[in-house]
Amino acid sequence: MNPTPTIAATSSQALWYLTRASGIVALLLLTGTVVLGIVTAGRFRSANWPGFALQALHRRLAGIAIAFVGLHVLTTLMDRYVSIRWIAAVVPFTSSYRTFWVGIGTVALDLWIAVAISSVLRRWINPRHWRALHWLAYGSWPIALAHALGMGTDARLSWVQGLVGISVASVVLALGWRLHRRWSDRPPRQDPLAARRTRGDVLGANR
Amino acid sequence: MTALVDQRVVTPRLLACVQRTGAFDLASHVAVHGWPKALDLPPSRRSRLAPWAEELLTDIEDAGLTGRGGAAFPTARKLRAVLSTRRRPVVVVNAMEGEPASMKDQVLLSFAPHLVIDGAELLAAAIGAKEVLICLPDDRIEVGSVLRATLAERDRAGLLRSPVHVATPPGRYLVGEESALVDWIRGGPGLPVFRPSKGAPLTLGPCVALVHNAETLAHVALIARHGPEWFRSAGVPGAPGTCLVTLSGAVARPGVYEIEMGTPVADIIDLGDPTATPAAALVGGYGGGWIPSSAFKAPYTPSAMRELGAATGPGILVALGSASCLIAETARILGWLAAERAGQCGPCTYGLPAIAEDLAQLARGTGDRGLLRRLERRTGQIAGRGACRHPDGAVRLVQSVLRNFPSEVSEHAQGRPCASALGETPLPLGVPHWP
Repeated sequence: MNPTPTIAATSSQALWYLTRASGIVALLLLTGTVVLGIVTAGRFRSANWPGFALQALHRRLAGIAIAFVGLHVLTTLMDRYVSIRWIAAVVPFTSSYRTFWVGIGTVALDLWIAVAISSVLRRWINPRHWRALHWLAYGSWPIALAHALGMGTDARLSWVQGLVGISVASVVLALGWRLHRRWSDRPPRQDPLAARRTRGDVLGANR
Repeated sequence: MTALVDQRVVTPRLLACVQRTGAFDLASHVAVHGWPKALDLPPSRRSRLAPWAEELLTDIEDAGLTGRGGAAFPTARKLRAVLSTRRRPVVVVNAMEGEPASMKDQVLLSFAPHLVIDGAELLAAAIGAKEVLICLPDDRIEVGSVLRATLAERDRAGLLRSPVHVATPPGRYLVGEESALVDWIRGGPGLPVFRPSKGAPLTLGPCVALVHNAETLAHVALIARHGPEWFRSAGVPGAPGTCLVTLSGAVARPGVYEIEMGTPVADIIDLGDPTATPAAALVGGYGGGWIPSSAFKAPYTPSAMRELGAATGPGILVALGSASCLIAETARILGWLAAERAGQCGPCTYGLPAIAEDLAQLARGTGDRGLLRRLERRTGQIAGRGACRHPDGAVRLVQSVLRNFPSEVSEHAQGRPCASALGETPLPLGVPHWP
């Protein structure tokens, strides 16, 4: 018995397991990042949770998510069982293996990269541009989810489906909370000083 | 309060009207300073600056005006940042002046209110602002009544161009920090908000807040009248113009003085008739630093003070008399700053009380052998880690003592009894409002 193929098979299997596991973990971390991002943008805070604490958590979680996405991509490329060239990890729909499902994964990755780089450089770029780029996260998350469901080896496992369900539910809930907050805040939002305006204290034109 | 305005100021600009005429009503104000022509021109539209407004912005840029609220941030850069958001601005006049040792904003608003309003109105018209909000602490009732009377006077004369609103946030130290002030205006508790950089805009509903210190706006009002060359004719190249300084401590005539930027610290202290040559001076307030008398020949500029481990801050000088102990004073200030913290971040919540306790032990001479090393480690761990600059200012103050007064520090560390430690404090500390 020649031991070499066994080792090769084992290491390839390890890579395969690592790809699947890091993919699932990355999806969960990205979901957490998105949920925290939505809550941060809605300016949630309480006595025990200053606004910037959520923001900091959002950023840290995003950093860990990027690490797992990186691991996921790296193990995919290293895995010789299916050969996906490195170009397919950057340019969408260039993989010969399951072109569509790999391709949307690449789209999601590219969008995340744009969001991540603009956030690292946030200090130096126009806040409006940063904001516009950050909106890409809303597009990227569902694409990443679709990639996971369409591509994922484990997507049929009930506990994975359960996790996906929880992810979708939490993002929908957070979005609902933010929209509700936005709508219920409507009248004051029109008036920048609504919270502190007292009758008869304004002098001058158009009063 | 009249005694607060000294007649022997070097270059009367901001306080010229009250100093020459003894009055600060609209007629005297216009007689001394003239009326800015720009206020009679049509204001900028929402997205397009009027030609005069573009010119005013360039003038402010060329004048090299920096914020007089403490951070010395370039005024023009703040304006451009707000314009780049394309949101409609609200001009917020920051007269919160939370530093207990500072009185310059209340003196300015009490004796030259028209100049501050001129500046706010000019900027509001220049950038097409929706309105002006003047913020002063709720406990400064007299200043508030002068301000309201002044606004009513302008309104009667038909000279108010934008809607002007007066708000009175709680007079806590931290509410004067601009993000905390905007947080309060939004309806929040008035705590500093984390921002990626100082230039990041502060939104107010659909609008964006342009927050300027009251004195900064008074300078804008004068630059609009006389131009940038005139502004730069006072002061020194790196730090042009004049500024208000609140002088207190071991001087016979404490008060608010208008000085040229770059005036040697010794000359500023001399304006107040020091009782003896002070051993040290606190420059920049409770977030500034102590400098020894050997450094008094240094020019009063942000960069020179930074090099000495201090800061110009909102223009504060406290002369330390020989009967006072520098370390005991610093311990008092740290205790006060720790009490005034927002309590949002760990570095402030745990760091400031710990440093205050270290300093109190040092002042009493009861510190253990590891005290100094612990103090150095703690100050190093705190700087730059809070949501706002509150802990950084406190750390700068402590580090200025460790750096500029090594012999005093080591004597206290060796437990030598300090006769002055229980002496009378020259510092106004006020009552902590928080938590």
